[in-house]
Amino acid sequence: MTTTAHTIDPALYAAATAALRQEARTVLENGTAAAVIGWQAGRRAGSALPAIVTDPAGAEQLIFAPGCVNNLALYLTKAKKEVRGKGRLAIVVKGCDLRALAGLIGENQLNRADIYIIGIACPGVYGAHADRRLPLAEETVAPKCRECTVHTPTGVDVTVGTLPDLPAFTPREAAELARLEAMTPAERWRFWKEHFSRCIRCYACRQVCPFCYCEQCLCDRNRPQAVETTPRPAGNMAWHIVRAMHLAGRCAGCAECERVCPMDIPLNLLNRKMAKELKALYGFEAGLEPQEKGPLTSYREDDDQSFIK
Amino acid sequence: MKTITEQNLRALVDALISDGKRVVGPRVAGTMTLYEPLTGGAELALGELPRRSAKETFLPLCETILTYEQGKEAVHLGDVDPVRLPETVLIGARPCDVAAAPVLDAVFSWDYRDEFFLERRRKTTIIGLACTGGDDACFCTAMGLSPADSTGSDLFLTPLKGGSFRCDAITDKGTALLAAHAGLFADGTGEPLPLAEPALGALDLEKIRAWLDGHFEDPLWEEIAARCAGCGACAFLCPACHCFDIVDEGGTAKGARRKSWDACGFGKFTNHASGHNPRDVQPQRYRNRIMHKFKYYVDKFDQRLCTGCGRCIRACPVGIDIAAVLEEINDK
Ligand code: SF4
Ligand code: SF4
Ligand code: SF4
Ligand code: SF4
Ligand code: SF4
Repeated sequence: MTTTAHTIDPALYAAATAALRQEARTVLENGTAAAVIGWQAGRRAGSALPAIVTDPAGAEQLIFAPGCVNNLALYLTKAKKEVRGKGRLAIVVKGCDLRALAGLIGENQLNRADIYIIGIACPGVYGAHADRRLPLAEETVAPKCRECTVHTPTGVDVTVGTLPDLPAFTPREAAELARLEAMTPAERWRFWKEHFSRCIRCYACRQVCPFCYCEQCLCDRNRPQAVETTPRPAGNMAWHIVRAMHLAGRCAGCAECERVCPMDIPLNLLNRKMAKELKALYGFEAGLEPQEKGPLTSYREDDDQSFIK
Repeated sequence: MKTITEQNLRALVDALISDGKRVVGPRVAGTMTLYEPLTGGAELALGELPRRSAKETFLPLCETILTYEQGKEAVHLGDVDPVRLPETVLIGARPCDVAAAPVLDAVFSWDYRDEFFLERRRKTTIIGLACTGGDDACFCTAMGLSPADSTGSDLFLTPLKGGSFRCDAITDKGTALLAAHAGLFADGTGEPLPLAEPALGALDLEKIRAWLDGHFEDPLWEEIAARCAGCGACAFLCPACHCFDIVDEGGTAKGARRKSWDACGFGKFTNHASGHNPRDVQPQRYRNRIMHKFKYYVDKFDQRLCTGCGRCIRACPVGIDIAAVLEEINDK
C-alpha cells in the first residue's frame, strides 16, 4: 500500500499490537491484574470491539487498530459492576481516554492504585461512519483525532508503541464551534432544536459515557417524572440540557457520545462549548491529572458570585 | 409482467398523495436516509438503507393514545380513535424491513389485540423493493430470507438494468393498487440488476434454537455481553423489536398518555416496583434479547424476531455483532 502524506501507515498499529499483547500477557502472568480490558477484532472488516481478557493465552486476541474507537474507561465505572467484580484491572487507554480515567479518579470512583494503566501511542482512529476497509486518512479519521494533542499518553504505568511525526489533518470541530458561536442565540437555538428533534432517546450517548454512572438517572425517574421520557420535543430538549449541564466540567471530551449517536447528533460540539465556558469562568480544564473536585461540585471563598442578585 | 419506470414510480407517489393517502418511503434526512412521510415523488431516495427500520409505519416512535384535561366540573378524556388513522402506502421498503411486518402481526393480535398497531397495518399497502446494495452487516439469507424476498409485501419491485422496475402483485391489496394506477405501469420484462450479497453463510436456525433451549445459564452470555453498554440502539433500530412503554406525561391540569419504544437492554426495563430487578446485570439482559428473538418467539409463534437487516450490528456502540453471536452458537 502506498502511504501518502495524509495516510497513517498500518505498520504503526501492527507494532503497537505486538507490544500490547506482550504487556498484557506479562501483567496477567505475574498477577499485576486479574483482567486486561482492551480491544479485539470483530467479524466485519476493520471492526474492533472491547475485550475483557483474564487468561494470559487470551492476550493474543488483543489488537490495536484504527477500529479501536471505544473509550474503555466505561468498564471501570460502577455501572459495569460485572467487570469491576473481576479484581484488579489493567486497562488499555489512548491519550484521549486517559482524561476520563483522571476524571473518575478525581470523583472518587476509582483508586489509582487499583488499576494498571497501559497507555497506547495512538496515531488516530476511525470516525463513526468511515469505510473500515480503507486505511486511516483524511476521509476516514474521527473528528476528535484531527485536533488531538495527546497522541502519546503520559502518567500511565507503561506505554506501548511509538509514533513518528504524524500527518496534520484539517481541523473541523474548532471551525464548527466557531461557526456556532458566531450565530445569534435564536439561530443557535434553532440549530440545536433541529438536531434534538431527531433524538430517539435510545440513550446510547448516556450509556457509553464514562461519567454517566449514576445508578438512578434523573431522566429515568417516573415518580415523579422529572423529564419527559418520550422522544418528543419537550423531553428531548430537557434531556439534552440535563446531559450538558451534568457533564459540564466533568466531560473528558472523548466524543464517545457523539460517535455512538445513531441519529448523528453532534453532541461533542455541545460538550466542547461547555468546556470552553468552564475554562473562561473557572480557569478549569478536565485534564490529565486527577483533580480534587470539578468547579461545579466544589465551593471556594473566591468563587464568582456576581450572578446572585 | 408489469414494469414501471423510475419517473412513473415518482409519479405514483404524487398520485397516491393527491388521492389523500399518506405515503411513507426512504427520504434523505440530513446525514442519513429515513423512512418518512413523503411530500412528493421527487423525495423518494432508494439508494441507501434507511437508518431506522420501517416498523415505525405501524409502531411509531411515540404516539398519543389518550389525552386528559381538567374541566370545571369533570376531567375530560380525549380518546384517540384508531379508525381515523390515514390510509398509508409504504413504498421502497427493503425485504428485511417488510418481512418483519407479518412477524409483528403475531404478537400484536395475540391475547390482546393492539388496535393502534393493527389498524395501521390494515390500512397500509406495502410496496417492497428488491435489495441491490448491502454490506457485511447484512445476513438476511442466513435468516432464511433473501434480498429478493417478497414476504410481507403487497406489491414487489425488482430494479432492472436501465433504471425501471419489475412489479409483482403479491396480495389483493397489491393487485388493487396496480389496477388503480394502471396507466403508470407498462407490460414488459427486463434483466434484473445483481442483488446484494449478504456476507454470512447459512445458519442452522433449528440447531440454534435447540442450543438456546438448554443454555439459559452459560458462560457465553458473560463473554459476549459484559461489554454491552445497555442502550436501546439495537432494539430501537430493529424492524422486529416491538417492546413499548406507556407513560402519562403532563401536569394535573392537562396531559397525555403516550406509547413509545422501549428496549430490553435498558437497566430499568425489568425493574419491579419493589426495587427488585430480576435482570440485574447486562449479560442477563443481552441473553434475553437473543432468547426472545431465536427461542421464545419461535416457541410461541413459530417465527423469528430477526430478519438479518444488520442495523443492530452497525449501530452497536461496543461492536456486539448478533450475526457473529449466532455463528458462534451455530458452531457449538
Ligand atoms: S484523539 Fe488522539 S489519542 Fe484519541 S483516538 Fe484520536 S489520535 Fe488517538
Ligand atoms: S459526555 Fe461524551 S465526550 Fe464527554 S466524557 Fe461523556 S462520552 Fe465522552
Ligand atoms: S444517542 Fe443520540 S438518539 Fe440516542 S439518546 Fe443520545 S442523542 Fe438521542
Ligand atoms: S436483530 Fe439486528 S439484524 Fe436482526 S432484524 Fe433486528 S436489527 Fe436487524
Ligand atoms: S448490544 Fe450494543 S446496541 Fe444493544 S444494548 Fe448492548 S451496547 Fe447497546
